[in-house]
Amino acid sequence: MKVIEVKKLSKKFRVKLKEKGLKGSLKSIIKPKYKEIKAVKDVSFEVEKGEMVAFIGPNGAGKSTTIKMMTGILYPDNGSIKVLDIDPKKDRKKLAYQIGTVFGQKEQLWTHLTPYDNFKFFGAIYDIPDIKVEKKIDELKTLFELDEFINTPVRNLSLGQRIRCEIVASLIHEPKILFLDEPTIGLDPVVKENIRTLIKRMNKEYKTTIFLTSHDVGDIEKLCKRVIIINNGQVVLDDTMENLKYHYLNKKIIDAKMKEMVNLDDEDGITILKDKGYNIKIEVDTNKKSVSDALKLLNPDNIIDINISNVPLEDIISDIYIKDDKQ
Amino acid sequence: MRKYLYIFKTEIMSNLQYIFNILVGFIGFFIVLFIFLNLWNYMYDDPSQLINGYTKNQMIWYVIITEILWMTLEGRTYCKKICNDVRSGNIAYNINKPYNYILYSLSNHLGSVSIKFIVYIILGMIMGYIFMGSFPNLNILSILAILITGILATVISILLITFIGLCSFIIEDANPFYWLYSKFILILGTVFPIEYFPKTIQPILTFSPVYVVSYGPAKLFVDFNINNFISIIIAQIIYIIIGYFICSLMYKKGVRKLNVNGG
Amino acid sequence: MLMEVKNQLRVFGLSVKYALMREMLNKVTFITNILFMILNNACFIVQMLVLFSLKEDVGGYSFREMLLLWGMAAGTYGVSRFFFKNSFSLSDTINNGKLDAYLVQPKNVLISSITNEVETSAIGDIIYAYIMLFAYGFTIPRFILYTIFIICGGLILTSISVIFSSLSFWFSKSDAITERVNSIMIHFATYPDGIFKGIVKIILFTIIPVGLANYLPVRIIREFNINLFLIVIIVTILLIVISFIMFYKGLKKYSSSNLMIARM
Repeated sequence: MKVIEVKKLSKKFRVKLKEKGLKGSLKSIIKPKYKEIKAVKDVSFEVEKGEMVAFIGPNGAGKSTTIKMMTGILYPDNGSIKVLDIDPKKDRKKLAYQIGTVFGQKEQLWTHLTPYDNFKFFGAIYDIPDIKVEKKIDELKTLFELDEFINTPVRNLSLGQRIRCEIVASLIHEPKILFLDEPTIGLDPVVKENIRTLIKRMNKEYKTTIFLTSHDVGDIEKLCKRVIIINNGQVVLDDTMENLKYHYLNKKIIDAKMKEMVNLDDEDGITILKDKGYNIKIEVDTNKKSVSDALKLLNPDNIIDINISNVPLEDIISDIYIKDDKQ
Repeated sequence: MRKYLYIFKTEIMSNLQYIFNILVGFIGFFIVLFIFLNLWNYMYDDPSQLINGYTKNQMIWYVIITEILWMTLEGRTYCKKICNDVRSGNIAYNINKPYNYILYSLSNHLGSVSIKFIVYIILGMIMGYIFMGSFPNLNILSILAILITGILATVISILLITFIGLCSFIIEDANPFYWLYSKFILILGTVFPIEYFPKTIQPILTFSPVYVVSYGPAKLFVDFNINNFISIIIAQIIYIIIGYFICSLMYKKGVRKLNVNGG
Repeated sequence: MLMEVKNQLRVFGLSVKYALMREMLNKVTFITNILFMILNNACFIVQMLVLFSLKEDVGGYSFREMLLLWGMAAGTYGVSRFFFKNSFSLSDTINNGKLDAYLVQPKNVLISSITNEVETSAIGDIIYAYIMLFAYGFTIPRFILYTIFIICGGLILTSISVIFSSLSFWFSKSDAITERVNSIMIHFATYPDGIFKGIVKIILFTIIPVGLANYLPVRIIREFNINLFLIVIIVTILLIVISFIMFYKGLKKYSSSNLMIARM
């Protein structure tokens, strides 16, 4: 069952141009100049129920704009959106009952209240009867391990605890889809890992569809089975995580420290990434050349230290960005 | 002195971009004066009548001048800024810098209100002329003299507010003191000249800041008199010296406290 | 529909309660803010005393009626600032993309975005308003009328704020204008309408509806008139409707935090 259907979505913004200096300031007061920026161009994709989708792209690629249109914050200029068969443009309120949102940089909690009171407030916003809210809080409290601090004012909580509360607050009304915008921004690695585990557990428990944006490759790699990459307002890749990795999996990176200088030439299947005489880094395309053949080129007797690894996901993604920008 | 002039100039430049806001802000000024025009039209039976020694036109010009001085001051923002500097410990960073904090703040704020001051004077004069059809009887020299008292009035106001702001060294929040001060000037200094108040409190007002920051320049504008000018300018100079002195004293005392606490 | 209104009111009540709790975190500041505002309003009695020492009546108002007018001005301003504080900074909310949080909630965006803060000092305004009613002469019917008028006036002020703030959806610079409109209304509301004549008087009862928020109510309390009373109520409702229409029309133009300024 499809829960999100986005077709040929477009949005442009009018941006005021400002020239430098005093003269520019005065000029922009009297006769402002505007430029149209197409933030999102003909974006289409679909999401199935229960999926965990990563929606990624460099800054200014149109990620947030797309999410904001899907959640009813922004009006699209063109194209259609159906989230749970609801058009966010027409039935914003109806949609709001069905979806949850967490924007990592924007807090929705009252900081002087305890998480518990906050959750009750959200219960009221979503018209949930008191008894039901209390039951739900109890349930989520266990799932998200909030016991220690559920009665501490939010302003006294650590960033990680706050994010957990933010997520719980957006789950009170049992949304069918959860939109997470940079949920782990600014957190330390241990807390990040913890949040990921909790999100995964929730997805399993409630079959909640998760639509996530993040700059953190770890979030994407550990949580999502599917990736949609957007750049310059357009979808440049929409594939499973496996395919994405597999596509690059036949490439290995060999990083070696040598006893003696070696002279390597580019040949079919081998790309030299770094050559500083004693330290060498090469990329091997295993479809064309086996790793052992590549090692022979280096002369195994000559190697002091060696490290053979896959291409990191981070590089894969930035590679895609760069390729797209060149086109 | 050159560096303070430079600070003053930079502030003016960066405030030019707010000219739109200044013009919109002027609407508020216009409304206040418009209300007073109507009020005095109602209170005076005929234009030649004198109330407490003032004609109707003089009363309206009086309010124009005091309101220009008051509205261009931006005292609340300034007081908040000083309080914040003290409370956030920002002031501690300034200790090592080669300038005097008080003169720095003074020139900085003067710079940020100058454009508004000039715009308001020009528009205020035009408005007064439209409302009443004539200017008070003044020559170039007296206009210059009034301008000087006006600028000194602003300098004194800024020094007094600096002092209030610096009180944050002693009490947690000095903003309520500013509030008291502003009410004092607004109620007793802007709407009515000193002569409108009961005889018993008139001498008190003459020695209070009201005389130097609002009554003085406005009185000279509606009824110029060289003797008045001299006494006002002397009072203003005394106030500036005292103002600067108490500010430095408070600053030194506060900084010593900062040093003890380690900032 | 009824259920929806009930739920909306519940959230509104909770918002006010929580926002008030936040203000009360620091008890001393909370109480001084209220007291200072009462004192602040009382200061202006000095001006009135000076004026009334010159003439028996000012603009057709006796001193007592003048106090009532002052109370009305403080009360309407207080209601609007206490319950709908953020309507005064709505331009900023719109320009900086701070409506996002309310847009993902299944409640009325306008109401949520203007009710999530309360102004402590506005409590002082409201208390002052009732002190002035006592100074004028307290009776139960007057109390009821006065309360209705303060609420209506507060809603009128709020609606005007919302209407002008909504212009920010189209022109981001309009925030300066909103601020002015509010202070203009307050300025007029503290002087008797009798001093204004002709076209100004018409403006005060139409474009800048101080007349409807303050002058008419004082007149009605002096001498009850059902027609005038209904006019006040109808105008209040009308302005509220217009403010909602303006806001929701503009919301389609909302650009979240994407309104950036590009430097060349």
